[in-house]
Amino acid sequence: MKNIIEVKNLTKEYRNLKAIDDLSFEVHEGEILGLLGPNGSGKSTTINCILSLLKFSKGSIKILGKEMKPDSYDIKKDLGVIFQEVAVFEELTVYENIDYFCGLYIKDKTTRKKYIKEAIELVGLEEFKKFYPKQLSGGLLRRLNIACGIAHKPKIIFLDEPTVAVDPQSRNSILDGIKKLRDQGATIVYTTHYMEEVEILCDRIIILDKGKVLATGTSDKLKELAKIEEKVTIEINNLQPEQIEKIKQLENVDEVNYNVGNLIITYKKGKNNLGELIEHLKKENIKYNKIYSERPTLNDVFLELTGKELRD
Amino acid sequence: MTVFKTFLKVLNKCKFVIILYTVILLTFGAFNMTTSENSTNFVASKPDVLIINNDENVGVTKNLVEYITNNSNNVDVKNNEDAINDALFYREINYIIYIPQNYRQDILDGKNPEIEIKSTGDYQASYAEMLLSRYINIEVIYAKEIKDEDKLIEKINNTLAEQTEIEITSKLDTDSLSKATFYYNFASYSILAGAIYVICLILSSFNETKIRKRTIISSMNYKKHNRILLISNALLAIALWIFYVIISFIIVGKTMFSIQGVIYIVNSFIFTICALTIAFLIANLVNNKNAINGIVNVIALGSSFLCGAFVPVEWLPASVLKVAHILPTYWYIQTNELMKTIEKFDIESLKPVFINMGVIALFTIIFVIITNIISKRKRKIA
Ligand SMILES: Nc1ncnc2c1ncn2[C@@H]1O[C@H](COP(=O)(O)OP(=O)(O)O)[C@@H](O)[C@H]1O
Ligand SMILES: [Mg+2]
Repeated sequence: MKNIIEVKNLTKEYRNLKAIDDLSFEVHEGEILGLLGPNGSGKSTTINCILSLLKFSKGSIKILGKEMKPDSYDIKKDLGVIFQEVAVFEELTVYENIDYFCGLYIKDKTTRKKYIKEAIELVGLEEFKKFYPKQLSGGLLRRLNIACGIAHKPKIIFLDEPTVAVDPQSRNSILDGIKKLRDQGATIVYTTHYMEEVEILCDRIIILDKGKVLATGTSDKLKELAKIEEKVTIEINNLQPEQIEKIKQLENVDEVNYNVGNLIITYKKGKNNLGELIEHLKKENIKYNKIYSERPTLNDVFLELTGKELRD
Repeated sequence: MTVFKTFLKVLNKCKFVIILYTVILLTFGAFNMTTSENSTNFVASKPDVLIINNDENVGVTKNLVEYITNNSNNVDVKNNEDAINDALFYREINYIIYIPQNYRQDILDGKNPEIEIKSTGDYQASYAEMLLSRYINIEVIYAKEIKDEDKLIEKINNTLAEQTEIEITSKLDTDSLSKATFYYNFASYSILAGAIYVICLILSSFNETKIRKRTIISSMNYKKHNRILLISNALLAIALWIFYVIISFIIVGKTMFSIQGVIYIVNSFIFTICALTIAFLIANLVNNKNAINGIVNVIALGSSFLCGAFVPVEWLPASVLKVAHILPTYWYIQTNELMKTIEKFDIESLKPVFINMGVIALFTIIFVIITNIISKRKRKIA
């Protein structure tokens, strides 16, 4: 597989804080790569370093086989970036904003017109072309922000937490749009601290913490790292300590946690664990409200690797 | 082209401000024109002059007193220092002439006796001064050749009568020159405020960190982008200047087609370029759109008051004018004021004009250098 971006031994320090610590990874052609990590893990800093917006103390960055520098305009023409904050002109309409940012890349008017139309369709802003940013809701603003970043049809697209504080409808529209861009041939680097998003969106995931790569792989590969096979949650009121003790004795059970009416049982291996558990509850005559079984999540992976939750 | 087009769109959003400052300029300009027309005409033909004659009122002394009296409003003020100073302060008189003892004898002896004067320093006073110096010049020249007092007086009076023609045209010029000076002085406020306001608003949009980041990562050369913005802003400032110059032709009329007119125009052009660099400097220091309003008021309004753009320069206390030296507006207004008094244009009389313009140019260069230093430092942080 062709490497579109190669980051090697990247280190970035802010005074005495190591925001990025000897980071190395690649981005493959045509994939959506997810950079997953909690707030402050160095996702934005990584992107800003790759784009030469920040100077870094060590390491090298190659994009499309060439070293990236602040004046690498031949590389920049193939890049599209959507930052965390919405960056548009208050004085311009939706259409004019896209036209301006697209115009920084595309000089030809007819091509630009076509591209702007396609960008507006992609993010679903057809009805808001003449609106000013002030008149748009938060979700629509994010969509405009994305349209401004991708209208020039870049080969590589960076999105830095584009769905933070966005309503579910806009979020779905944004995620669909990103998939469409990938299907049209773009390579995408997507940062987020929402694990659900990387699971449904990304072809490959890099888990970051404190500026370091913790793990890399597909969602399924990463989950193997969680060392647990299954997690069962049961809503039970007034469970007695001796009853909990009995459950712990069941086959394959790894850990049992009970608090505020929720009993969480994790299994490291085994089959039909849930069935046996239900049978046991019946035999003991323990009444429960709901019972459900889950495969481990990326949060469990993160918990396993760092000892803390992904979400703060 | 994209950058310039967007520049115009953003400009379009703040056109109201330009219109506002222009309307202010026109309103005050027109107001001054109508009020000054009556009063200045009257005063220009006859300044209020007080003559204190310490010599005997005979012969050449009497002739001098008569000449001044005929060409001015003779004011009667008690010959007492306090009363005279009060009268000067309240502009009951513009000019006081102290004729020394033995004036007549000194003239007849071919000497050039010193005449003490007191003046309000305004242009009515300068008109009186012109009357006096013209008389004395002629008198001193002829006194060396003509020893007979009666013949001397006759010669002086004939020569003065010949020059009356010139005097009348020069008097008319003084009137419309004072209009032009007022207009161009006031324009310093409109140019400075308009330039700072609009350029800061536009640049704060383009330089907002988020948008700047987007521009930097785009394939457009960032230096080129900034150059286009610079040129766009310069074009805007020059367009504003051309507009104000055209209005000055409409308001002031044919006086603008003169050497003075050319100097007003050149002076205001240099000042406009200086205002442009001030605006760039401020735009580099301030990224907050809400702060711009206050800054415009402090800088444009403040310097206009301190340097005499709104009130006649003569009314300002000397200490204020001393402070004003550190402002470009001061040097700009000094040139406009000079236009009211310079009669003959040669290297010598234009020297102060060139010095004033040079100082403004120097300010411009300093502002450019400071702006460069600041923006370089800013780029390092980003
Ligand atoms: N300009 C800065 N100065 C000092 N520290 C910074 C600066 N920007 C980010 N950091 C620090 O660097 C770390 C990584 O930040 P960031 O890349 O923004 O994380 P993320 O995008 O993953 O939330 C954080 O600890 C943050 O506090
Ligand atoms: Mg971030």
